[in-house]
Amino acid sequence: MNLRSLVWKELRERPWSVLSSSIAILLGVAALVAIRHVTVHSEQEVSRQLSSLGANILILPKDASLQNYYAADRNGQTLPEEHVTEVLMAGLAGVEKVTPKLSMPASLGGLEVTLTGILPQSEFTAQQAWQTAALFTPKKHDGCKKASHEPTAADMTPESLNTTRSIESLEKNQIVLGADVADRCAFSEGDTVELLGGTFTVLGTLTRTGTVDDSRVFAHLHTVQELAKSGEVVSAIEVIGCCEDAAGDLVPELSKLLPGARVVTVSQVVQTQVGVNRLMSGTSWFVLGILILVGGASLASAIAANVRERRREIGTLMAIGATPSFVQRLFLMKALVLGLVAGTIGCVIGLLTAVLIGPQWAGVSIVPLPGLAVMAVSAATLLAVLAAYWPARQAAKLDPCLCFQEV
Amino acid sequence: MIRLENVKRIYTRRGQTVTALQCEDLRISAGEYVAVVGPSGSGKSTLLSLLGGMLSPTSGRIWLDDTSVYEQSVISRSAIRRERMGFVFQTFNLIPYLTALENVQVPLALNNVSPVNQVGLATAMLQRFGLGDRLNHKPSEISVGQQQRVALARTLVNDPQIILADEPTGNLDPTSREVVLKAFDTCYDEGRTIITVTHDLTAAARAKRRLVLNDGQISEESFSRAKVA
Repeated sequence: MNLRSLVWKELRERPWSVLSSSIAILLGVAALVAIRHVTVHSEQEVSRQLSSLGANILILPKDASLQNYYAADRNGQTLPEEHVTEVLMAGLAGVEKVTPKLSMPASLGGLEVTLTGILPQSEFTAQQAWQTAALFTPKKHDGCKKASHEPTAADMTPESLNTTRSIESLEKNQIVLGADVADRCAFSEGDTVELLGGTFTVLGTLTRTGTVDDSRVFAHLHTVQELAKSGEVVSAIEVIGCCEDAAGDLVPELSKLLPGARVVTVSQVVQTQVGVNRLMSGTSWFVLGILILVGGASLASAIAANVRERRREIGTLMAIGATPSFVQRLFLMKALVLGLVAGTIGCVIGLLTAVLIGPQWAGVSIVPLPGLAVMAVSAATLLAVLAAYWPARQAAKLDPCLCFQEV
Repeated sequence: MIRLENVKRIYTRRGQTVTALQCEDLRISAGEYVAVVGPSGSGKSTLLSLLGGMLSPTSGRIWLDDTSVYEQSVISRSAIRRERMGFVFQTFNLIPYLTALENVQVPLALNNVSPVNQVGLATAMLQRFGLGDRLNHKPSEISVGQQQRVALARTLVNDPQIILADEPTGNLDPTSREVVLKAFDTCYDEGRTIITVTHDLTAAARAKRRLVLNDGQISEESFSRAKVA
């Protein structure tokens, strides 16, 4: 016999009372876990969709259109390269990656190609002015929270041009070939090729994407600027923005920053999903508030009622030598058990609900997130203990004699 | 030795002041068997609560040997009750969701006795009261007399020096009452101090010293032949 067994035996004796006192916490946790799972997976889906699109915001010359961009951005108009610096220095929330490009026609092995100059990401960090910009300081995003400017192993390969629209490192005498170009010219990694009078080494070839990129040859931006004798200009700046920012405030902010440029977004394709995410994110906060208010109040009231109906038992325990702190711990431990059990059951119900309704509700398949589950159960347990604190203190302050007089 | 020194307990309810107990000097020696009798509202339960360290006197001091009880902290008073006192209640006050064995284990658990020893000591005590076959019965599954015997086992399991009983035979049939009174006799023979508050004149007659309370004051005192000095 000890404190735990006293609590356990009382709870086991009255299962319906236990259930009714913790039902609000159970339902709150279930709703919270279900909504958060759907929200997180939906956000990940948005990120995935945007990632598959590549850049989701384009900064183009004023008179260029999106069609011009998809037609290999060779419309003859350009933007000053310093716009890149301006974007980075502005430290706008949600800007994850900036990739300036300059495209020009060229001929390689008798094949008409689009030579696209691209600035490797490593050069951004090499420039002192940009290092001080907010882009390189990890900052909190309210949206997809995926902003990380540390290059991954995948960023180091030429294939990253397909996946992230950027490349980490590219020497001035290196080129990367699109799939069509590589196939038709029969070039492979390590080959040396002549292009517009210059000699280049093939760093790698890209897999087929079915887009205009298959017929591109990627080289260093400054090499292409020299070959084109265009000066420090670019034909487009691709921006990868955090999903929700890209669909929200980032475009107007960029337009304001660069009044001489045209800022367009391709994130409308995920606008609905982003809207659903925002709604669910807001709903999850609402449910959390309800959980704290209703769940906490309901448990506090149940524990207070339990204290009232057990005054005689508390008095007896005190008469036979229980200290006030023992009595307080008795009720706090009961609340802890209730919170833990209700939180765990609620979490399981929430997970099952999310797995079952997630695909229909938000069009995403749900995989349980252990971290979220642990957090929800811990929060429910903490809430239960906090809610029971006051009634438990009142129990500890009970005068055993007054308890006997009420018998 | 228990001593009450100029003890007064006053209740104030709805603006009215009631002196529940007033006692200039009361001494109860170790090993005495004392019955406190008197009409309802005479202050018997107040006296018992004061002696048990559960109700602070409005004025005066209560001594337990050399310790002024109410100058101790709440935690120390709990320890005094746990280690030196045992309570017997009119309504037994058994914990309804615990078995007889578990009810008797509770004081041992509060005294930090290991669970294995708890079971051994509690079982032995229940067997002493003829309840060896009722160890795993809950209070609702045994008779009223058996419930009072479980309560007695709970009172005695920590080997208290002082037993404070509040109407211990009030709810019992004659047979069960005799079991309780015999248990008190045995405790007296073992040298424990017994203070029982009762309306039961038969039970009071078994005590070696009787105090009559009227309007919160001791109006009469008598001794049996076997008076303890």
